[in-house]
Order: sequence, then structure tokens, then C-alpha cells
Amino acid sequence: MSNLIDDLEKLRDEARTALADVIDLEQLDVLRVRYLGKKGDLTAILRGLGELDASERPLVGARSNEVRAALEAWIAERREALAAHALEERIGAEKLDITLPGRAHPIGSQHLISRIRDEIIDVFIGLGYQIVEGPDVELDFYNFDALNHSAQHPARSASDTFYVRDYSGDEHVGPEPSAVLMRTHTSPVQVRTMQEQKPPIYILAPGKVYRRDVADPTHLPQFTQIEGLVVDEDITFADLKGTLDHFVHAIFGPERRTRFRPHFFPFTEPSAEVDVSCGICDASGCRFCGGTGWVEILGCGMVDPNLYRYVDVDAERYTGFAFGMGVERIALLRYDIPDIRMLLEGDMRFLRQF
Amino acid sequence: MRASLNWLRELLALGALDALSIDELVSRLDMTGTAVEAVEQTGAHLAGIYVGQITSKERHPDSDHLWVTRVDIGAVGAEKGADEDGLLQIVCGAQNFEAGDKVPVATVGTVLVRPGSGDGSGSGDSDGSAQEFVIKKAKLRGVESRGMNCSARELGVGDDADGLMVLPADAPIGAEFAAWLGASDTILDLEITPNRPDCLSMIGVAREVAAVLDVEVADGLVPAAELLEEGESIDTLATVEVEEPTLCPRYTARVIRGVKVGPSPTWLAERVIAAGTRSINNIVDVTNFIMYELGQPLHAFDLNRIAKEKDGRAQVIVRRAGAGEKITTLDDVERVLDTENLLIADSSGPITLAGVMGAESTEVSDDTVDIFLEAAVFDAATTSRTSRKLALISESSLRFERGVDVATTLQALERAAALIAEVAGGTVAPGVIDVSVAPAERLVLPLRHNLMTRVIGEDIPLETAALLLERLGFKVERGADGADDALRVTVPTFRPDIEREIDLVEEVLRLWGMDNVTATLPAGRERVGALTSEQRARYAIDRTLRASGLNETMTLPFGDVADLEKLDHPLSHARAGSDGSDASDTQDSLLVELLNPMSSEQATLRVTMLPGLLRSVSLNKRRGVANVHLYELGKVFTTAAGRKQPDEREMAAAVLSGSWNQLGWNAPAVPLDFYDAKGIIEALVRELGVDRFRMTEPADGALPWLQPGKGAVLLLGKETVGWLGEIHPLVAQEFDIDDVVVAFEFDLAKFIAAAKPNRDVVAPPRYPGIEVDIALVVDEDVTNAEIEQRIYALGKKTPLKSVRLFDVYRGQVSEQRKRPGRPKGGSTASIPEGKKSMAYRLVYRADDRTLTAEEVDKAHDKLLTKLKQTLGAELRG
Repeated sequence: MSNLIDDLEKLRDEARTALADVIDLEQLDVLRVRYLGKKGDLTAILRGLGELDASERPLVGARSNEVRAALEAWIAERREALAAHALEERIGAEKLDITLPGRAHPIGSQHLISRIRDEIIDVFIGLGYQIVEGPDVELDFYNFDALNHSAQHPARSASDTFYVRDYSGDEHVGPEPSAVLMRTHTSPVQVRTMQEQKPPIYILAPGKVYRRDVADPTHLPQFTQIEGLVVDEDITFADLKGTLDHFVHAIFGPERRTRFRPHFFPFTEPSAEVDVSCGICDASGCRFCGGTGWVEILGCGMVDPNLYRYVDVDAERYTGFAFGMGVERIALLRYDIPDIRMLLEGDMRFLRQF
Repeated sequence: MRASLNWLRELLALGALDALSIDELVSRLDMTGTAVEAVEQTGAHLAGIYVGQITSKERHPDSDHLWVTRVDIGAVGAEKGADEDGLLQIVCGAQNFEAGDKVPVATVGTVLVRPGSGDGSGSGDSDGSAQEFVIKKAKLRGVESRGMNCSARELGVGDDADGLMVLPADAPIGAEFAAWLGASDTILDLEITPNRPDCLSMIGVAREVAAVLDVEVADGLVPAAELLEEGESIDTLATVEVEEPTLCPRYTARVIRGVKVGPSPTWLAERVIAAGTRSINNIVDVTNFIMYELGQPLHAFDLNRIAKEKDGRAQVIVRRAGAGEKITTLDDVERVLDTENLLIADSSGPITLAGVMGAESTEVSDDTVDIFLEAAVFDAATTSRTSRKLALISESSLRFERGVDVATTLQALERAAALIAEVAGGTVAPGVIDVSVAPAERLVLPLRHNLMTRVIGEDIPLETAALLLERLGFKVERGADGADDALRVTVPTFRPDIEREIDLVEEVLRLWGMDNVTATLPAGRERVGALTSEQRARYAIDRTLRASGLNETMTLPFGDVADLEKLDHPLSHARAGSDGSDASDTQDSLLVELLNPMSSEQATLRVTMLPGLLRSVSLNKRRGVANVHLYELGKVFTTAAGRKQPDEREMAAAVLSGSWNQLGWNAPAVPLDFYDAKGIIEALVRELGVDRFRMTEPADGALPWLQPGKGAVLLLGKETVGWLGEIHPLVAQEFDIDDVVVAFEFDLAKFIAAAKPNRDVVAPPRYPGIEVDIALVVDEDVTNAEIEQRIYALGKKTPLKSVRLFDVYRGQVSEQRKRPGRPKGGSTASIPEGKKSMAYRLVYRADDRTLTAEEVDKAHDKLLTKLKQTLGAELRG
């Protein structure tokens, strides 16, 4: 019996020393199998158990269990230590240069004009507007007549407005070359909307407009306008002011102020131009705003009752307001773009900035 | 409209402007609807010139015509190089002065304009040969000179170049010359909106300023003309016949005889120059002066150059021009007229283009002695058409086309006649010719308090409104017809823009102050702000294109037929003939033509966005940007016989060239090709849930701008909605591009219509699938689609769930590009010429259990056997 006990003690001591010297998980596994495996040393010792007296067996059995438990604990302990060490080594070896560039599929950018247009649309969606659009090639009726432009209005001139060949066979009378034209503003959408829709009307109409301007650093023959129209009961000039104040704060910043200057437009009465306080000098006057402290951003007014004649809206019941703004102008005010033609070139290095 | 403040002060009550700075005045005008576009200080060109007294005059030691003068310019001399006695030494070549005389002295640093060879009347700077020069400290024949004693001509204030401008003895030494001369004035450049013809006159501006500032205009705003009539009556000298009274509602005339045409007196020249015109002579200047003062254009004829009737009277006729009739206008241009043009004529022909410009034949010249003076009102529309058609815009036509007040006409005539007699001598013939239709009754409008409140949103008391309107010259009756909630307002004749009650509301609002209106937001109940589902889908496409790596751009919508020819586009010939009929009869799809394009490159509207985008690719390459990824959402236009407005379709188009990225430490720069563009379309189809989308090979010659074999037609069901492919190398060359360009273009609305807003949700599988890879060696012309379809068909009764191509191998080069993370397929054994190896990963999976390997093997073996039979495919690996 004592032999077996001695063997167990010996195995335990030997294993303790051997395990302490193990340097990796592989060696540890080899030792585990050697000591505790089915064909391992412990099993070999316990084979002698059968030759013992029944009275001795429990003692040796208990002893062997102790040794097994001790060995298992040591192995687990070593395993944990070695695993921790190995992980530490791996982490050390995998240290990155985090200044190397990342890996990403490039995401495209939105055009500056579309971006501002969408920002403005968001503001007016929030105010309960619908977004509507109209044709780029318009009839002079919608672009001029129904908007109170006299037959002699200078904007009709073929030097200012693009005219388009009319294939309808209709005879055109008048000094202009055709009744079909590239719209010069988004205001025709006002008329089309009032023809198709009963009040209450709350619409925003973004779109391209065209004027016969030679492209230069501040002019393009095509630019983007956004038209707003509200027709409802009890719509007042005060509502127009509140609406545009909200718009200016949302787009230019809450610290900016507005100024309404009386003006003239054929299709609104009363009419106003709206200035926003200069963002550079805060209305004290600087070179950016030409010393006035204010920068003009849009035109607006109460819908002229004459317009209701062309559509089925009861002018005694409804009032309305309209406003129109140029998106390129807002872009030029917000970003210091030296030449507006850059907007149409498609230079990747310009587009990628937005 | 240029408004001189000196002039304005005379028209306003004394001291009316004194309490205000210029800035305040400008701001008040800005905020009431008269925008001040610029403030100009006149006399600025005389800065640096002072009144000086010549204290001594000595011969130049080395010259027999030069003088050495010493000049006192007062305290300012200390800064201008005066000696210890406070005097400037100036060498001077003039001979007309004595010691003690006072003269204008240009100090060192002054910039003068040397007049050209022009007539010198008025501002010399209108003459092309004038040039600037700077007064410098100089030595003239060894004697130092610090400044220049000036002649009137050198200063541009007179014609006299023969000697120094000797000033009156009371001119104060050291005064700024401009201020002493009265040449310093402030000119406000006013933006007059088209509805305010009254403000195209000084008297109108004065009324407006008085109303805005709540001050009074001058007593007897414009002095009544004091006319001394003498000699033969006008009735014996001239007759006027108005054939077109609707186009000429009033024609008045006077005759002034025995005038002497010559330079204007200074005050008159100053006024017309301040108003922005040149001083011509005393007669023309008077007509211009009255036009600027009262807004009534006038015309002076040489009476003796108007053809006479038999009885010797000058015969003036107001009539329409005959078709093809000609007139040589004052600018020496012969103009061909039509019946739209209104003329003043005599029996020999036209003598004025009515309201626009006079004719040479009856022009006032230096030897004119008798004047026929016209003050008339011509129809606004007719004047406007004439001046635009002939591209002849004058100060006169500008006023007529906006409307001239018939009530002012006679006053203007009388005042001009009296002034001509005053400044040019002569006598006014007794009598006035006045041919006029009865003036319209003064317009009377109501102004209801509730309308005012309803439009403005502020409760402006009726009495406040009444006072504001009275300030503007309206006659206001309170409580008319027993109504205490409305005014009765009589509109003055000088405000033709006030036609309706709403116009009065605007007048009240602009004077009361838009800034005083408290901002509110509309309270409307029945409204919802939202995008439509189409608009949301459009945004989704927009976003997906960007998420795919494309950058949005914007190009002009114009098209060039030459570009379509470069593309060999089918519509490159779809133009109407010069008579507008040929093609329109035969073509059902036509280019939209601009009738007045800016250039031949922009003579049509685009039918495809490709040329504009290719141009952007070319621009980027030229500028050294190799990687180009652009897209645009924009309209294209076509029309057809019988159509008025064209068909406008919104398209999405894109171009890709180079690679997605520049070569990186961890990312190769893979050249972009067909499949990169296809991947974007596939992403869109997935993102929008587009139904029935497919791509097919184009029919022969169908998309000629694409490289054959590298193009595809995009279809929704059977409908073609766009194309995709690599641009034909020859087409790319036409646009100066040497690289591969991949592009697509599709119809946005059709794509959106096919999008499914709601989708069927499929629960993710709960049991794992088993993946099996196969590689098939097939003939080159067998397509992936054919193989996939075949595999799916054969696997129909098996648990086959998906088939995915992961490699194409042609012996040498693998189609599988060196992108990280892709499985490597098949072996690298050589493949026979004309064959390719296609490697697929098949996934077998059951929805209700985990498949066993035996089940899969059995199904897969069966599938392979059939594949070999039907495709003639050889199995590899």
C-alpha cells in the first residue's frame, strides 16, 4: 500500500515541477496526457489498486483523487496563465499603425445646389407644405399673362427669354417668336397649382429656370429657383413675415435678422424684397454686403387678387402669399464661391467638397 | 433715376433734409420702396483743388513766356508744400493774370483729367481722348514748381482754355474749389420700380421723399411759368393734326421765335449733368431739364425746317408710319418702320419717332432761330414696342412706356417755353396748341378697414391710413356715405399705378412700415407636409447613387446636334427643316429647338444627358483627375408634330472612369468597367424593390455610342427604360477621352413606377445550408444567365436554394479581380482555347430540418449528371 501512496506522492511532486516549467499550451497538453490520460501515469499507478486489501483501497483511492484534483487544478492554472501570456504576446505583435488610411468604399457627394434645395424643402415640409413641380418648357400664358405681365413687359423680350419652336400649328401673334418658352421663373407653378387644386394650398415648387444671360462668374443661363405659395383663409402679410423669418433662421442661423423692403412684382400686392442681416458684419456694414449690412435673398408678397381671375379661387374668402428665391444666390452667400460656373463644370475636386 | 440732393432741397420745404444724415435718408427710402442703389459724391474730381491768391508774379529767369508765381492757399498750404511764408511756388505759362488775382490751384497729388479734342461742353470724360494726369512736384527749366494754376477747361468746368480761370475777388482763399463752385452735390441713384413712373421726375421724387419723411414740399413746388407772349399768334405759324388720338391722347405745342442757340448757363448745365446727361445747348438742355423736373419729355423742332402748308403754316401730323417708311434718327441711323410705329410727320415725311427720338431733318442746330416746342403724351405700349423693336431706348421712351401724366403736359410746355425765352432769348408766340381727348375722371376708390386688416394682419387705425395716404397726395374722405369703417380715396393723376383697393393697402403698408408688422405663422388647419411616395422613391434613388460612390453634378439642359452626331444618336437628324415643316411631318420624335439660342452649340434641348457628362469626364481628365464618378438627375426633352409643349422626362445618368480609388496601401486601384455600373443598377433595383427588371443585349446598332459587346438595354418587363455600357472608344475620342468610360442612363419616372413600396417579408432560414462548389468548362458563348437558369431548373425538385458565380477562369487570367475577401475557385489547370471555366457555389437547405450530407450528395450528383448532359459542360476540380 505504502508503495502506491509513495508512487502517488512522487507523481504529484514530479508533475508539480514539470508543470511549473511548461512554456506553452502544447507542452501542457503533453503533460496532461502523460499524467492524467487514459494511458497516463496516474492510471498506471491505480492499476495496482486491485492487488490491495479491500480495507486499504479507500485510503489509496482517496489519496489518488486528491492527487488528480491537485494536478487538474495546476494544469488549469497553468493553462490560464499560458493563455493569458499567449494573448498578451499576440496583442503585442498585432499592434497597428493607426495612422494608416482606413479602408472604405467611397461615398458620393450631393451637389451643393441640390443640398441647399433639400434643406429648404425640409424646412417647408416641416411647415406643412407639399412639394410640386411644373414643366421647364412653359407657355407664355403661365409664365407671363396669368402672372399679370403686360404684353409689353420687357422680360418677354427675345433678348431675355429663350423661345422654343411650337409644333402645334397654332398661329402666334405678337412680337415674340413663339408662345412656348423656357420658363424664366418658377412662378408659373403658382397658376398651375391654383388651377388644379382648391385652397387650402401650401406648396413649394423647386425647379430650374432659364434666362438669356451669358455665363460669367456671377451669371448662368440656367439656375434653380424655389417658389412658395400659400392660399387659405385668413392668410396675412404678418404670416408671410413669420414664415420667411422661420425660413431664414433655419437656413442661415437663428441669430440672423430679416428686413422687408417694399418692392414691385407684377403678381403680388403688396410686394417686398427680403434682406437677411449680413453674416459677416452682423448688419453693421462691410465689404461683403456692400456696406449696407444687409444681403438681398428673395422676393415675396401677397398674391395679387388679379391672379385669382385666372383660377377658381374666391378672392373675398381667401388670401395668400407667394415668395421666390434663387438657390444659387443662397449658395454664393453661404459659400465663398469665386465663380458660379464651377457649379456646372463637374470638376470632381469641387463636387467632393460638399 | 439720378436724384441730385441739391436739386431735391430746392423742391422740399426749407431745411426738410437737414435733420437727416445721408445714411438715414437712404435707409428711409430703402424701407419704403425706393431702393437707393448707389450714393455718388460729385465734385470728387475736383478734390485737391483750392481757391488761391497769386501774391507775386515774376519772370522765369530762363524763359520769356513762363512766370514764377507765389500763391497763398491758406492754412491747407502747410500740408501741400508751402514755404516758410506759407506760400506755394508755382511756375505758370498763362498770361492773363496779375498778382492779387484769385485762381483755382491744383496741389501736388491732385489727379486731373486732360480734356480731349471734344467740344468741351459738360463733362470732358465722355470724350475718348481724355486722359488722367497727376500733379507732381517738378522743376521747370530749373525752377521748382509745387502745383498748378488752372484754367476752366483743365478743370472741366468751362470751355475757356486761353488762360487761368480768374475767380471773383470775394472767393475765399483756401476754400475747396468744388464747394465754392457749388459742384459738390450728392446724387442718389434710385431704383424706380416699373409701377412708379411719377418717380422718374424730380418733382415725383420730392413728393415721395416728403411723404416718407413726413415733411412738406416747397411752396408752389414748381414755379408757375411767367410767359410774355409777343408777335404773331401760333395759329398763323403752325397746325397740328392728330390722326391717332388713342395713341396720342394729348399733344400741346408752343412756338418761340428769335432764339439764340448757345451754351447753357451754368445752373442749367449743372442740373442736366447731375441728372446723368450731357449739356448740349440751351434749347435741348431746357427740354431735358423739364423732363427731369416734371417727368414730361419734350421735343424742340427747328420750326423753319418743318415743311409748310400752302398758307405758310408748319404742318405737324401725328400718324402711324407706313410699312417700310424710313427715318434717320438723331443718332444718324436710318431706320425702317412699320405700321406699329407712331410718327410725328410733316408733309415731306417723318420728323420724329414719337416719344422715342427726333430726326436729323428738323434738329435744332446752332443757326436755329425759331422753335416749335412739343409736349405730348404717347401710348405706353406703342412706345415700348417701337423702342424695343428698333433697339432704341431713350430717356423719353423710358418715361412714355411707363406712363406720362396728361395733367402735367401743359404745365411742362409753359414752363419750358418760358425758360427757353429766358436762357436763349426770343419771344413766345401768343397761343397754345392743345389737341387732347377728354381726360379720364379721377379715380375714386374705397379703402375698407377690414380688408386692410385681412391682408396685413395688423389693425392699422383707419385714421392712420387716411393720414398716410394724404401725405402721398391722395384726397381722403372720411365717413363718406355714412360708413365709419371705410375711406373714400381720390387718386392723384400722377399715380396711374393705383387702380384698386389693394393698391391702397400697399401704399398704407409701405409707409406705415413693413418692419412694424408682427410676424406670425399661418394657422391653417387642413394641411399636412409630406413628400409623395414618388418623391420619396426619387430621394431613395438619389441616395443610393451616392451610396454607390457617385457624385452628383449638374449640366446645362441645352443640346448640340453635333454632339448627337458624334454619338450617332438616332435623333441627330430629327430636326425640322428651315420652314419648320419638313421633318415635323415625317418624324414622330423631334428635337426641341430654341428659336433664339445663345450659340449654335446650345440651339436645342438635350435628348440625352450623356454628352454633358462626357464633357465633364474630359474636363476632369484634362485637369489631371483620373478617377471620375458622376451622376445627374435631370430632364431631357423631345417633341413631335402637333405638340405645343415638349415631352419632358426626368432621367438619371452616370459616367464612371478610372477606378473607385487611387492605389492604396491596402486597396488596389481596380479599373472601372461595365460591371461596376451594372452593380449600381443592381443596387438600385434592390433598394427600390423594382419589379420585373432585366437587362438584355441591344439589337444590332441600337446603342451606337456603346462598344459592341459591352452594352445592355435596361428593361422593366418588356418596356425599355434605359441603357448601360462602356462608351465606344471612337465616341470617347470625339470627346477627347482616351480612357474607358462606363455610363448608364434611365428613365426615372418609369423606374419609380416599378418600385414596390411594400415588400413581402421572408423569415430568415432557421436551419443551416450546405455549400457545394462546382466548376463548369463551357464554350465562350454560353452565358452565366443560361447556366444559372439551367442549374435552378434542374435543382427545382432538390433542396437547392441558391446559385452564385464566384469565378470565371480562362486558362491564363482570372476574371476574378484581386479584391480582398473573395473565395478562390477551381484549380489553375489550363482551359482549352474558346472555353471558359465558370465556378459556382450552390447552397442546399431545407426549411424544416438540417439536411444530412447523404441527402445533399444524392441530390447534387443527380444535378451534375443532368448538367453535363444538357449543357455539354465538363466538370472541373
